[in-house]
Amino acid sequence: MAALATGERDSRSALPFVLPALALLAAVILIPAVYVLWLSFQESTFGKAATFVGFANYAKVLGDPYFWRSLGNTVAVVLVVVHVELLLGLAMALLFAGGLPFRKFLIAAVLAPYAVSEVGAVVMWRTLFDPDTGFMTRVLNAIGLPPLEWAVTPSHGLALVALLSIWLHLPFTFIILYAARLAIPKELYEAARIDGANGWQIFRRVTVPLLVPAILVAMLFRYIFAYRLFSEVWLLTQGGPARSTEVVAVYLYLEAFRYNDFGAAAATGWIMVLTSLLLASVYLRKLYREMFARAE
Amino acid sequence: MPSDHAVAAGAAASRRQNREAALPLRRIGAILGKALAVAFILFWSIGPIAMIAKAAFTPERDIFAVGSLTAWRPTIDNFIVLWTRWGDFFTGLTNSLIVTVGATILAVLVSTLAGFGYSRWRSRFLSGSVFAMIALRLLPPIVTTLPLFPIVNALGLSDTYTVLIILYAAFFVSLGTMVMRTFIDQIPRELDEAAMMDGATQRQIMTRVILPLSAQGMVAVAIFVIVYAWNEFLFAFIFTTKHAKTAPLVMSEMIGSLEGVEWGVLFAATLVQLLPILIFVVLCQRHLIEGLTAGATKG
Repeated sequence: MAALATGERDSRSALPFVLPALALLAAVILIPAVYVLWLSFQESTFGKAATFVGFANYAKVLGDPYFWRSLGNTVAVVLVVVHVELLLGLAMALLFAGGLPFRKFLIAAVLAPYAVSEVGAVVMWRTLFDPDTGFMTRVLNAIGLPPLEWAVTPSHGLALVALLSIWLHLPFTFIILYAARLAIPKELYEAARIDGANGWQIFRRVTVPLLVPAILVAMLFRYIFAYRLFSEVWLLTQGGPARSTEVVAVYLYLEAFRYNDFGAAAATGWIMVLTSLLLASVYLRKLYREMFARAE
Repeated sequence: MPSDHAVAAGAAASRRQNREAALPLRRIGAILGKALAVAFILFWSIGPIAMIAKAAFTPERDIFAVGSLTAWRPTIDNFIVLWTRWGDFFTGLTNSLIVTVGATILAVLVSTLAGFGYSRWRSRFLSGSVFAMIALRLLPPIVTTLPLFPIVNALGLSDTYTVLIILYAAFFVSLGTMVMRTFIDQIPRELDEAAMMDGATQRQIMTRVILPLSAQGMVAVAIFVIVYAWNEFLFAFIFTTKHAKTAPLVMSEMIGSLEGVEWGVLFAATLVQLLPILIFVVLCQRHLIEGLTAGATKG
């Protein structure tokens, strides 16, 4: 009966409902993206008609050491951020699932950074790590470590960017993993315990395999969103000193809005789109296959 | 075979007994470990926010003084300076509010309609377009700013609420649609069919049957858009310069002022911008979690 009823609903009458959403996406994302593809084959700047230059923009970007540095920085930050987030998120999900007092309050606390803007987070973390007076600088000092010279040393700047990105986005990763962990039926754990499995075995044979889909989803989303990284870097170091902490989005912004080279910026944009897809797909496929090979 | 099973169960039982014998020490260790972990989580999550909150109520000259916790004399001076000298910031807050409300209404409306469409009909075009929606979500926003910048200027939309409202809504339409589809899928089709028997049009089904029952999903979508639009930086940075500047943008100008940052005032601004949305997130905890899981795992 249900099938008959849905069959009666002519799919053309769905159009008025889905068209506003599709129109909005087409106008703001699809058409601009296609235009950027066209632009990436043109030489274009303010007050000049665009002329076709083939792959010259791509050649220029790919021959630019600053581009490679920004790509290297981005990849390093993304890899650290996403994996640390997954590890912490997983550990926290298991801790919460194991039962904690004041659970509601604790979850509210864990979610708090989700409400913080990128600007707000930058204000907080640069204050904490202020090389002279920051609280964390004093902590590092107390345990015999040098301060984080984030405004001077490129790797320190990127480390602070990674730290505050993890802080901002851990709530998202945690929620996905926690919800997935709660969805695992209790009976499976009881059965494993009756079979004499210890904690580690239960973790390896029950928890991890059943969480793999959620881990992959969280990882995919975080790869894609972490790769866009712009505001944190821009607000903390502006890509400096001497363009050493640029990430790809900052490189693109500078090409377009500081050097007014729209062709090169557009080429960067498409390289960004393609690499982000590649980064996600290669890794995910490999992981997916490995996980299922182990499950056999 | 059954006897094997019994032996295994017996072995497990005796192992359990051994474990229980060694329990007190181990349990104390476990509780201690848990307490440490919880302390770390609290410190990590709320520490930076608490630090800002305290500093906002500290006189400018004492903010960076060491060991100032015991001698702390709370003051609202920073907020007074913020109010008298940074009118821009409060205009920014108003702008943020207008843009957030506009983007939320637009995104929820469009996502709910589309969620209904994708939940109730199947066709090649619909499957294709839903895939396109998910794929478009992968495009980095900064890529689309390139062509939008001249178009927005040409249309006279630069530095207006409209451009931010449209952009914010557009970047949440695909997630919003997935969340709404998940929620509307849970509304029994029999209700639609009963209404159709009574001669209702699809539009009437949408407004009379679906809308009243999908409030929960709409709340989940609204929360995402509200948090995003209230805090967004990149688009506000590129597309607004004066009239439509949002609060985060004004804050970034406070950081960037080369004259030397007035930290106390900046902390006060950070706290004022954060507090309403933080309270909102805490109050909407349950819906936020539902929305995240519905959108992420099904989308």
